[in-house]
Amino acid sequence: MSAAAGEQIVLRDVSKRYETASGTVPAVEDVNIAVRAREFVALLGPSGCGKSTVLGMIGGLVRPDAGRVSIDGVAVTGPDPRKVALAFQDPGLFPWRTALDNVGFGLELQGVPAARRREIARALLEPMGLRGFEAKYPRELSGGMRQRVAIARALALETPIVLMDEPFGALDEQTRILMGEWLVGIRARTHKTIVFVTHSLQEAIALSDRIVVMTARPGRVKDVVDVPLPFPRNVNAPEVVDLRAKLWEQVREESLKALDIRL
Amino acid sequence: MKILAWRAALLLGALAAWEALARPLSPVLYVAPSRLPAAFSRIAAVNDMPPLGAHAWLTLEEVAAAYALAVSAGLWLGFLLGLRRTVGRIYEPLLAAVYAIPSVVWYPSLMLFFGLGPASKIAFGFLLGFFPVALSVLAGIRQVPQHLITVAVSMGARPGAVFRKVMLPAMASTMVGGLRAGLALSVVGVLVGEILGARAGLGYVINYAYGLLMTGEYAALVLIVGAAVLTIDATGAWLESRVRRWTT
Repeated sequence: MSAAAGEQIVLRDVSKRYETASGTVPAVEDVNIAVRAREFVALLGPSGCGKSTVLGMIGGLVRPDAGRVSIDGVAVTGPDPRKVALAFQDPGLFPWRTALDNVGFGLELQGVPAARRREIARALLEPMGLRGFEAKYPRELSGGMRQRVAIARALALETPIVLMDEPFGALDEQTRILMGEWLVGIRARTHKTIVFVTHSLQEAIALSDRIVVMTARPGRVKDVVDVPLPFPRNVNAPEVVDLRAKLWEQVREESLKALDIRL
Repeated sequence: MKILAWRAALLLGALAAWEALARPLSPVLYVAPSRLPAAFSRIAAVNDMPPLGAHAWLTLEEVAAAYALAVSAGLWLGFLLGLRRTVGRIYEPLLAAVYAIPSVVWYPSLMLFFGLGPASKIAFGFLLGFFPVALSVLAGIRQVPQHLITVAVSMGARPGAVFRKVMLPAMASTMVGGLRAGLALSVVGVLVGEILGARAGLGYVINYAYGLLMTGEYAALVLIVGAAVLTIDATGAWLESRVRRWTT
């Protein structure tokens, strides 16, 4: 079966279970998602709903138990750094590498010469407000800076697809909002396909073209919501407020299930 | 600077106190610091023995051999048990159990196998130095953050690259600590071996001086060994701090 026109990432009837000490836990069940090229899709849902698992399967880090994950019509069998780059909530910078050498890590794996790596890394760090921090080690950088370095490291691979797993989840709210605005700018310049996992309604609305709302465990697709608003988005515009209310209804329902409480 | 000055003052004070205390007492049991220079020159050339330098050189050679063996075997076994989960689960408790036995009990059997010569000293130095190296590798492997490995794999790193570019640097500081401890214990092993039974080496000379109640010479030897070990260990500490600064 070939993917519909323009569909770059396709998940068809994908399921994943985890074996734990207390038995088998279904993480995601019968998930169907299609992401078009250059689209920004947010995966939104309560904690533990399998959002990260879905992202891991697209990135080739997690193997589905059933169903098929494909990129450009080719089944995903493992990480493919020519097509997909990942950024995580924990920036996961290598503490023994400077910011510059962290950004160059993926290129180093591909055998790009050191001088060229540095050049590419410098060109990425500069517009991220990290000029002058190239030679700093991760411990010398703030949380927001570390996350930008980690994203630069993912962007350095120059892949058409970037997957982000709550990349701003550990940052304070102000930094988080600014990082979101910054990402909108990056996206406008680089035309990448981005799949972005978040549990923040605000973040999902501010950044994405479409929002995939997921159910509590086992994670399924509950709804897919278009966000046909121009960037930059005003968080207080009436459309945004309406959309947030609608999304909150759905997310609230699932979060309650996830928490297993009744209010 | 202030701390160094205090340390020097403390050392001088202790020496002065010891001098004052030792003078009126029996010179065989209590070696006053003022008697050490003469003892140094006497022990440097004992009539019926090779010069002290030759003994020191032999000990150094034995330590080098023992430590080289301890490092290669320790790294090999550590990585074997650490990287192969199943093998590790089978053998790691055995390693810990053997380590728990006080190593000195092995020495008589090493003498039986390897004789009175350098081989038994090397074997004992190896035995003592081996465990900290192997155990530090195991501990180091466990300390590598899984997330960093995931990050590297997501960027296409193959097992070899994960090992070289993530695991080794992430475990370096723990490993260097083990290498340093292993060196100290290899030195102990060789010296103890020489003291317990040998025909040459610094430990042998220590035993010789002690056996003839040449306590001044004995004290001088202890100082020589102490200074040598301190120098080696300071080098190790410096290396360790460099690695630590680099990796954390």
